[in-house]
Amino acid sequence: MTTVLSHAPMGAHYTKKKEAGLPVSIQGSGEAALAAKAAGASDAAQILSLTGVTKTFGATRALDGFTATIDKGEFVTVVGPSGCGKSTLFNIVAGLEEPDPGCAMRFEGNSVIAADLLGRVSFMPQRDLLLPWRTVIDNAILALEVEGAPRKEARALAEKMLPEFGLTGFGQQYPHQLSGGMRQRVALMRTFLFKRDLMLLDEPFGALDALTRTMMQRWLLDVWQKHQRTILFITHDVDEALFLGDRVLVMSARPGKVKLEQKVDLPRPRPAEIVISPEFIRLKRTLLEAIEEEAMKSFTAEGK
Amino acid sequence: MSAPQSSRALQRGALGMVLLVLAWEGVARGFNLPAYTLPSVSAILGSIFDHRTTLFLAGAYTFAEAFSGYVIGAVIGIALAVVITLIPMTRNAIVPVATSINSVPVVAWSPLILLWFGIGMPSKVVMVALAVSFTVFLSALAGLDRVDRRSVDLMRSFGAGRLAILFRLRLPTALPLIAAGLRVSTVRAVIVAIVTEMLGAYDGLGWVIYQAVLQVDFVKVWSAIFIASAASLAFFGLVGLAERRLVFWK
Repeated sequence: MTTVLSHAPMGAHYTKKKEAGLPVSIQGSGEAALAAKAAGASDAAQILSLTGVTKTFGATRALDGFTATIDKGEFVTVVGPSGCGKSTLFNIVAGLEEPDPGCAMRFEGNSVIAADLLGRVSFMPQRDLLLPWRTVIDNAILALEVEGAPRKEARALAEKMLPEFGLTGFGQQYPHQLSGGMRQRVALMRTFLFKRDLMLLDEPFGALDALTRTMMQRWLLDVWQKHQRTILFITHDVDEALFLGDRVLVMSARPGKVKLEQKVDLPRPRPAEIVISPEFIRLKRTLLEAIEEEAMKSFTAEGK
Repeated sequence: MSAPQSSRALQRGALGMVLLVLAWEGVARGFNLPAYTLPSVSAILGSIFDHRTTLFLAGAYTFAEAFSGYVIGAVIGIALAVVITLIPMTRNAIVPVATSINSVPVVAWSPLILLWFGIGMPSKVVMVALAVSFTVFLSALAGLDRVDRRSVDLMRSFGAGRLAILFRLRLPTALPLIAAGLRVSTVRAVIVAIVTEMLGAYDGLGWVIYQAVLQVDFVKVWSAIFIASAASLAFFGLVGLAERRLVFWK
C-alpha cells in the first residue's frame, strides 16, 4: 500500500482526498486512492481530455482521432516515430492551431476550442528560442511581462529561482554566453515562471549530449515534484519517456493516434540505476516493439 | 569586432588617407596643374580656412536639412513597415506605391518638390525624407519579416497580443537590419540635400558649390566638397557607433 501512495501523482488528486476528510492512516487513504481510480477519472481530476482530435494539412493528415486524458499532477510522456504528428498535437494543445471540426477537447472541466488555450498552458518548444537581446533574468520573465506583471517584482521572483535551475550568478549574462544545457534551463525556467497547471515540453533535451541530458532529466523530476505541475512531455527517446513518465503514450506513424498507453509503475523518486532494473527493461521491450512497428511503417511510407 | 582589430583598421585607413593626400599634392604641384583641373590639397585647405565662416554656416545649414529629413524619413519608413506587419493586407497597397515612387532617381522629383515646397529649407527636407524613408522602409520590412515563426508562436502561447509581439519580439529582431538601413541612409541624406540645393536654394553647401562654379572658383568648389564629405563621414560614423551600442548581441 505504501508504495502505491508514493507513486501516486501529486497535485489535485492527492489534495482532494485529504480535503474529503478521509482517515489519515496510510492504509485508509491508500484504499481511498484506489477507489478514486476505480471510479474512473472524474472530471475534477482531469486537467485535459482530447477526444478524436484530427488535423489535416491539405492532403496530409497529421493526426487521426487522437484520444487521451491527462490527470492533474501527472507526468505523461509521448513517444513516436519522427513525423508522427507529435508537434501538431502540441500546437493544438498550446492553442496555436485549431484541430479539424468534429473533435472534443476539455480543459479543467470545461469544453474548449484550441484558441481558448492560448495563455492557459505553459508551452516550451523544441528550440530554446531565447531572445538574444535579453539577459537570462529578462528572458525568464518574458511570459510574466506579457501578463502585465511589474518588471521589478518579476525579476525578483526569477532571481530567487536561479539556484534551483543551476543558474546562480548567470542572471545578467546574455544567451550567447551560455552553454546549450544552460540555455535549455533558462527556457525551462521561463516555462515554470509562467505559472500554469499544465506544462507542454516538446523534446526539451533533444539537442543535448547524453550526459547533460541524464542530468537534466533527474533535475526536471526534482523540480516537477517540488512545483506540483502537470507535464505533457514529447520525446523520441524511449528511455527518457520511461524514466520520466507516470504514463507513456506511444503514437502511431502518421496520421498519429495513440497506439499504446503504458502505465509506468516504477517507484519515485527514481534513481539513475532504475534504467537497468528488470521492470524498466520489461517496459522498454513492450514500448520498443510498438515503436519499431510504427517506425517501419513510416519508413516504408516515406520510401514510396 | 574586437578593439585591437578595429584600431588596426583605423590605422590602415589613416595610412591610406595620408598616401592619397601626398600623391594628390605631388601630382598637382609636380605637373603644375591649373586649379580648374586639380588644385593641390594645401590650396584647398587654405581656401577652407579663408572661407571658414561661410563654409561652416553653409555646412550647418545643409546638415540641418539632411538631419531633419533623415529623422522624418526614418520615422516614416519604420512606421510604414510596422503598419504592414500589424495589418498584413496593407502590404499589397503600400509596397507597389513605395516602389514606383522610388523606381526613378529621387533627384527626378526635385523640380516638382521645389515647385510645391519652395526654394527654402522645406523642399530639401522633403527630398531627403523621400530618399531615406524608402531605404529604411525596405530594410525595416525585411527585418520584421525575418522574425522566427516559432518565436511568434511562443509569444502567442503566453497570451501575447499583436502589440506585445511587435514591441517585445518583432522590433528587436528587426533592429540589426533597421540599424544597417539607417547607417546607409546617412550618406544618402547628405548627398540628396546637396544635390537639391544645387538645383535651387538660398543657402547650404550645394548652393556654395553652384555659386563657386558660376564664379569659376574651383578651389572653393573643392573646399565645399571637402566639408560635405567630412560632415557625411562624421554622420555615418556616429550612427555606426550608435548601431554597435544598440545591436550589442550581434
